[in-house]
Amino acid sequence: MKNRHIKDLMVPISEYATVVVGTSLIDAIQTLEEAQEKYTTSKYQHRAILVLNENGDAVGKISQLRALKAIEPEFDFTAEIEKLKKFHFSETYISQLRETYRSESQIIKRDTLREASLKKVEDFMQTLSPGEYISEDSNLDMAIHKLVTGTHLSLLVTRDKNIVGILRISDVFTAIFREMESLQV
Amino acid sequence: MKELEKLYDRIVQRVNINLRELDFDVCPFAQELIPPDQMSKFYAFYGITPDHPLDLHFEHSALAGSYFLGKCQVKNSLLYKSDIRGDELKRKDQDIVFDDFSLTLDNDERITIKESALVKTLVHNFSHDPETPEQFFIKNTLAMDYSNIHGSPSDGCFLGPFATVDLTTMRDCAIGEYSYIQAGEISHLKVNPGTIWVQSPGNFNFLYKYPQEILKKYISLSPNKVPWGVLIDFINERKEQFQRVFDFVNLDAIESIPTTASLDRYAVILPKMKIGDNVLISQRAYLENSVMGKGANAQENCFIINSSLEGFNVSAHGAKIIESDLGLQVFVGFNSFLFGKKKSRLKVGKGCVIMPHTIIDIDTPLEIPEDHLVWGLIRNKDELKNNSLSLEQMNNITSFVTMGNMHFEGSGKLFVQAFKDRIHHILEANGAFFENDRNEGHAQRNQNLSLNTIQPFQFGTKEGMYPTIRILP
Repeated sequence: MKNRHIKDLMVPISEYATVVVGTSLIDAIQTLEEAQEKYTTSKYQHRAILVLNENGDAVGKISQLRALKAIEPEFDFTAEIEKLKKFHFSETYISQLRETYRSESQIIKRDTLREASLKKVEDFMQTLSPGEYISEDSNLDMAIHKLVTGTHLSLLVTRDKNIVGILRISDVFTAIFREMESLQV
Repeated sequence: MKELEKLYDRIVQRVNINLRELDFDVCPFAQELIPPDQMSKFYAFYGITPDHPLDLHFEHSALAGSYFLGKCQVKNSLLYKSDIRGDELKRKDQDIVFDDFSLTLDNDERITIKESALVKTLVHNFSHDPETPEQFFIKNTLAMDYSNIHGSPSDGCFLGPFATVDLTTMRDCAIGEYSYIQAGEISHLKVNPGTIWVQSPGNFNFLYKYPQEILKKYISLSPNKVPWGVLIDFINERKEQFQRVFDFVNLDAIESIPTTASLDRYAVILPKMKIGDNVLISQRAYLENSVMGKGANAQENCFIINSSLEGFNVSAHGAKIIESDLGLQVFVGFNSFLFGKKKSRLKVGKGCVIMPHTIIDIDTPLEIPEDHLVWGLIRNKDELKNNSLSLEQMNNITSFVTMGNMHFEGSGKLFVQAFKDRIHHILEANGAFFENDRNEGHAQRNQNLSLNTIQPFQFGTKEGMYPTIRILP
């Protein structure tokens, strides 16, 4: 089995979609599309945007799920429903309540979409946790461990203290299953 | 610094240490809570009766205006105008059953209050914690005005004004003002003001949340201020009437009371009252120009004004009934506020259950049909429709129902049954069914009660503190 390093699999930061704090959701998504058009190395497209501060340091990430969450209205009944959990209501009841509330308040409307498109990335980005970083010299074992235990879709690859690339779950997945295929089990 | 202030600071710190994980600081609320100069002004008193074992032990505590009955220990604590009623504590040799476990008690149960400050708080019933069946403990706890600790051992808790914790063991919890919790066991829980939660695991779960802005009109709490709002104003307007009953050692007996009824000498009774057989009127209750039908009761801190209660009515601790007509067997839960007006009376049909901490504040007449369950905030017919269900409708719920701010999950039938059983038990314990020397309860037994008073140090560094005293039969 080949001893593959992270740096062999990562997408260099220069090829990834990045925006700075203060960018709107719509501009961030356009940046993502542009990055996707330029990226031809893999059949798996970029699905996240990295958010950098004014010094160029990564401070957050926007996945497709985060972008969808930004579309949820400001009055978030989901937060209210979440609070019911501490009063021991069942998952069945909470799930039923979510469906009822959602059916009563439509979100795919021109004004809510327009409002959401102008939201700033820092308002809905996912902040980075210590478990999301991996050194470029680490091996695949460590990458899989971090992706699985942290349920991350990507990891930030570091050289010294700088971020040099993104390791996507799709690239790790491809590498592992290519390896499996080569074994002809 | 005087001993009393040192003690209070120590209690506040102990409560805060327990609540640190909730990031809840009781200091701002504690600041104005107990005026030290008041602590030496009021005597404490205790009941002596052949019906309840007596063992009172006070040590390094202040007890101003507080009442004690039964077996109770108070240590390093500060009690202000609180009622510690040990008349329902478990007795030696009593068998208790919890799930599949059964146990015979070796000792009488005792209320133990340590490192706590209770202000105008009612402590009653018995410990429902199966792990401490012989000790109803209240430790490291700060309870504010008109809160109820009912059958609920407590360690490291804060109760806001008019909060009630009922049949629930609580540890490290902060219960917001006007919240009612009956949930068996809670820990590390911060409960917002106006939360009504009644849960029996595996059977039912009821939750109602008051609209926060509207609740503030009735009861508000903010740092460095004493609580205020309609509920506080309502009580303060009648405060002077209580002064008279507490100022005199002997008051003239009211002759029109049936021999089977009990009227506490620390209750306020103003003309013209009509009191039926087997009625129980507890201390600090206020009754004015009303009719109490057979077997009705008014528990501690109840106000019944210009109203009629047809009979076998339960007015739980802190219930307020004004300009209202209640049919037979109507239950009005803890701290409920039925605020009818002279030209807009409230009529409550037979068999209704007004849930604990319900506010009905009306400016046009309102009638609640018979056998209904009522909860939350009701100011008109529309709100009544949204905040009530007939008991029959409740009985038919087998999964869940959501109505506005109310969530219910489980068996409606068990929920109704639990209330009905409890109401029956309360009436029974209070002696409402007394007949031909049978079914004796508090109403009859309290007639054998006499009272003694004890006084604090009036001068010096111990001013306001009480000497260590052990009172035994």
